[in-house]
Amino acid sequence: MAKILMKGNEAIGEAAIRAGCLNYFAYPITPQTEVAEYMAKRMPEVNGVFVQGESEVAVGYMIFGAAACGERVMTTSSSPGVSLMSEAISYIAGARCPAVFVNIMRGGPGLGGILPSQGDYFQSTKGGGHGDYRLLVMAPDGVQEIVEMVMMAFPLAEKYRNPVMIVGDGLIGQMMEPVEFPDNLTVKPSNKDAWATNGMDTRGSKEKNIVKSLYLDPEELNNHNLTLKAQYERMKKEEIRFEAYNTDGDYKVLIVSYGTMSRVCKTAIDNMKAKGIETGMIRPKTLFPYPLQAVHDAAAKQSCKAVISIEMSMGQMVEDVERAVLGQKPVSWYGQCGGNVPSPEEVEEQVMALINK
Amino acid sequence: MSGIGLKGVVVIAGNYGSGKTETAVNLALNEKKSGFDVCIADLDLVNPYFRTRETRKMLRESGIDIVLPDEKYMNADLPILSPAVAGMIKSSYDLAILDAGGDDAGVMVIAALQDALRQRKVAMLQVINPFRPFTENVKGCIKVKEEIEATSKLRVTGIVSNANLIDDTTPEIIYKGYELIQDLSEKTGLKVEFITAETSLVPELDLKKFDCPVLPIERYLVPPWKRKTTRS
Repeated sequence: MAKILMKGNEAIGEAAIRAGCLNYFAYPITPQTEVAEYMAKRMPEVNGVFVQGESEVAVGYMIFGAAACGERVMTTSSSPGVSLMSEAISYIAGARCPAVFVNIMRGGPGLGGILPSQGDYFQSTKGGGHGDYRLLVMAPDGVQEIVEMVMMAFPLAEKYRNPVMIVGDGLIGQMMEPVEFPDNLTVKPSNKDAWATNGMDTRGSKEKNIVKSLYLDPEELNNHNLTLKAQYERMKKEEIRFEAYNTDGDYKVLIVSYGTMSRVCKTAIDNMKAKGIETGMIRPKTLFPYPLQAVHDAAAKQSCKAVISIEMSMGQMVEDVERAVLGQKPVSWYGQCGGNVPSPEEVEEQVMALINK
Repeated sequence: MSGIGLKGVVVIAGNYGSGKTETAVNLALNEKKSGFDVCIADLDLVNPYFRTRETRKMLRESGIDIVLPDEKYMNADLPILSPAVAGMIKSSYDLAILDAGGDDAGVMVIAALQDALRQRKVAMLQVINPFRPFTENVKGCIKVKEEIEATSKLRVTGIVSNANLIDDTTPEIIYKGYELIQDLSEKTGLKVEFITAETSLVPELDLKKFDCPVLPIERYLVPPWKRKTTRS
């Protein structure tokens, strides 16, 4: 298929349809409403379903219901909406159902603002809802990568029987870029007979699948959590994704940045390179599992004297960067979270300050 | 630089993401440079980012009057319609550009301005980028046209091709857009007012292929990593 020009939000919708997701439930919220708008137009064309729930709480459980039936299902929202869905996300993870969530983040906390932010790093990687669950979290840096990640998210959710979260700041949803779609996914959920609800007809003929997250027996609940943990450990072995940018040279400063912010950092790195200053960057594409080893190794390089986490939040990812660097080099943070995206010039100033320290 | 020659009140409409704002801003600058008195109003009540208001400093410095919501609501997604818009429509600018939001939802505000608009000669241009979803063909463009007309209570009077894939635009893309808009013009009887092409691409174009003016486009609404200077 030829290239077309798409908003990130539209690309999310189209990619989901091409991944075989015919169930989409959502509630409008800036800056992700265009996904719902796009799906309202497109879903009838492919005999799919879009239902606007009465709230994000309702939407969360619509997702749970469809997932429990073994259907590919997705929702999209923005920060406050995802908070409302967090209870359902915990239930879905607890019941081991696959589903895809997309958070086009806006400024917080509370109502915050409608401009871009990366303030839900903790929410998506370290909790949000209750209990010992994890989400597989991916962070695209542009419209083409949205397509790749959304289409990847469904099989990954099925592989781990766990929700996958894609996080992009508002700009990722709103900006337009040329995009090319790969072939439609033809693989159907392969393992759903093992867990999806199979209805009354099978009573007596084969074992019933019951979707639940309630385990009153402490032994059983502990074992259930150990099963979940084993899945998360497997994610850490098999699903880490990252990009190393300009890491071949002798850089003095290593930037760690993701999403839109990493695009700004790339411009800054290119500008500095033109002036003869080498700066390396690790861009996590998965925020959980986190590319700890990649950041660790890039920081270990002899020329590197400092590591900086640049994020549109008040220092959230920097905690994972510190966990990766393990004290071998000083780690600092720079960011803004009101909605203004730091400029390449501001990034350059931060890097130069570290070099001249 | 020669003007496109549009006069009076011009509403810029089109489907979502067709490039209305880049077209409106560049049209304003082009006509100003050609010596006309130009005013532009940001009526985009549906889009939260990449709006005319983001270019306000540059427009004002170029001598273009600009009507915006109150500064303190500038970053809200509220449907604020400044009363100054009606005043602008009634005043005597050579060219008053109303940059509407996308789709039928985006031109609902135009219907609200009916009383003011009735007193002036009004043109409504539909901006089309055939490389956007839903307007890849004549049928899709006509559907958008009819939706816009039903909601705005105005007729589309002219069409504009804004064929582009941003940085991936080639002359072939622009020729393809022109082909579609010609076809649309034949089927609807609407005049092709102009087509757009990024300034850097204009020298590569065979201008003899076009029977309409070409508006050179500079991109002002770009993401932060492409901005030449820090946003003011």
